[in-house]
Amino acid sequence: MEFAWTDDQIAYRQQVRQALDELLPADWDETYVPESYASDLQVAFSRVFCAQLAERGLLMPHWPKEFGGSDSPDWYHFILGEEMKAAGEPRGSQYMNVNWIGPTLLKFGTEAQKAQHVQGIASGTVIWCQGFSEPNAGTDLAALRTRAERDGDAYVVNGSKIWTSYARTADWCFLLVRTGPARKDVSILLVPMDTPGISVTSFPGLIKEGHLNEVFFTDVRVPVANRLGDEGQAWAIVTHALAYERVGVPRYHTGLDALDLAVSALKADGRWEADPVMRARAGTLVAQFEAARMLTYLVVDQRVRREPPNTDANLSRIVALEAVTEMMHFIADYVPDCLAGGDRLLEDYYRINIPAGITGGTNEIQLDLVARRGLGLPGA
Amino acid sequence: MDFQLTEDQRALVDAIQSILTDHAELPQDQRLGYAWHDPAVQALLADNGFLDAGRSIGPLEAALIQFETAQSLISIEAMGCGLVAPMALPELPLAGPVALVAERDVARAIRNLPVATTLLVDCGEDVMVLPVAAGQVEPVASIYGYPYGRFRAPVRLADGQRLAGRGALLRQWWRTGLAVEIAGAARAAIDFTIDYVRQRQVFGRPVGAFQSVQHRLVQRHGHARAGYFLAMRAAWSGDAGDADVAAAHALLGIKPLLFDLHQFNGGMGVTTEYALHFWTYRIRALQAEVGGLTGAALDIAARRWADADAPLPKGADDE
Repeated sequence: MEFAWTDDQIAYRQQVRQALDELLPADWDETYVPESYASDLQVAFSRVFCAQLAERGLLMPHWPKEFGGSDSPDWYHFILGEEMKAAGEPRGSQYMNVNWIGPTLLKFGTEAQKAQHVQGIASGTVIWCQGFSEPNAGTDLAALRTRAERDGDAYVVNGSKIWTSYARTADWCFLLVRTGPARKDVSILLVPMDTPGISVTSFPGLIKEGHLNEVFFTDVRVPVANRLGDEGQAWAIVTHALAYERVGVPRYHTGLDALDLAVSALKADGRWEADPVMRARAGTLVAQFEAARMLTYLVVDQRVRREPPNTDANLSRIVALEAVTEMMHFIADYVPDCLAGGDRLLEDYYRINIPAGITGGTNEIQLDLVARRGLGLPGA
Repeated sequence: MDFQLTEDQRALVDAIQSILTDHAELPQDQRLGYAWHDPAVQALLADNGFLDAGRSIGPLEAALIQFETAQSLISIEAMGCGLVAPMALPELPLAGPVALVAERDVARAIRNLPVATTLLVDCGEDVMVLPVAAGQVEPVASIYGYPYGRFRAPVRLADGQRLAGRGALLRQWWRTGLAVEIAGAARAAIDFTIDYVRQRQVFGRPVGAFQSVQHRLVQRHGHARAGYFLAMRAAWSGDAGDADVAAAHALLGIKPLLFDLHQFNGGMGVTTEYALHFWTYRIRALQAEVGGLTGAALDIAARRWADADAPLPKGADDE
């Protein structure tokens, strides 16, 4: 058991931080971060930023060398993601490209699909969105109804997707469609977002710009050649693709940054020293975020060892969510004006985390999975 | 970053688990009690070097040993003599279990005092070391899962050995030991409860099939699992801030842990014919030690957001 970073890992983290220092604009925190990473402003910036990261070998270092990566170990990939998240995720949606869309294409794609997509992802200039959830199929994703019916050498897609972050700005959609009547009859299509018959409608919400979109597909023709894997293979591919994504984003970083911001504000107006209850709650929050950090590192360590995915990843999300929820409550208790024109960074933290227990698999699903598969508790 | 035990650590843990398994049963006349300390098991572990792992191997190994002893039904004093004293006061010769107490509480009932040969008193800046003789202590009845006792006559701290400037280090390792102890007891109590809810039937199905039970049990499991690694990190690093974090996290989890586990074990959980209380009331006993949750949390805050001219909490950094 060992809790220290190696010298090489420390140096790598420093390299990433230096790149961030050099590549992010001076007004990054003030102008870009509060707009959220799915905003048009940040997505546009991500195309420039990721291209620069690619030039420095920092976009997908964990990819195989033959596809432009460095075959770097998983810890380096994780450190990169941790630093990007801490900086406000300037890669925007492209974290998905390099984390799982690209690797999934490398594993399951045809040679033609690899030739078409991998270079674009590796150059940091292509935006993808994830067409999974539907109005009646969120947590129960297998209930999805968007249909793809074969018509010669194309599929004709009809239906709609919802909560599709980045849909307005995406070039491509990683789309789940029903290709048969059974629940398992789901396939993956790689769909250009400028295909005739696709329309995107954004709607307002508690979280910030760019996340809440509905995508409508009306007689959208997608070549059969754009199908990833076989018909009905979607679940196997998606399960593989997301197996290690389930650790989720390193929420402890942004949480501790937000807490630091809140404490700075409280110190500035003189309330910090006067209120030991507030200080104790802040100290407790640090402990909660550190707990989330430990479980996240545990999961990465298991990944490094090539252990089969287990429920520790679900557990890390559950523990992180508890900390995030407490942090949001702390903000509302002690710096409430941040949601009324006060600190924009704290507002962004709060608003982006409103659906933290829903996105990427609801907290209740995580709890169910750990109960059944982790603790061996019986089914109802 | 490596969360797996090394081969040597695995062998150490396997060895102590083997001994503890051989001594897992309580004597018949102790089965209805609140705490059972077996001097023979304590001596067996000491004689085989397990309680000296802190000195002979390192603090992480001492913590791994303590994590295992904390899961035993038998109350074994590994925190004080195995971890806290060797790490905070390495020059101190020890012969037997150690009790820990804050200066203001010396006249009260003290955890482990009836079995201790040494008492370490946290006097703020300094630590006072007092030998404890059997005749000095009267046992105190308690539902806590440790032996409790108080001095029959007031003790004079001035008669002890003063270790100047060691208070901060004592509190740091006390917090680390507290986090390890809670992690071990919580692990055992959760595992015990999982076994129960898998088997106990209500309304025609196991208690553990109800989502209201499952979700809370998973949350307690998650807290305990994270707590284990925070405790081990604190032992590994010897960092006062890590100790504060581990202790605060462990203490934060006590309220829902004890409520839920007793709730899920139903009426059985409130009887002494059942083992649950041996672990849960050890955890409860630790709740207020070394400043409790508030003290640890305030120290975390003071350390993280210290003003340039403000003193840090009295942790290891001051040594």
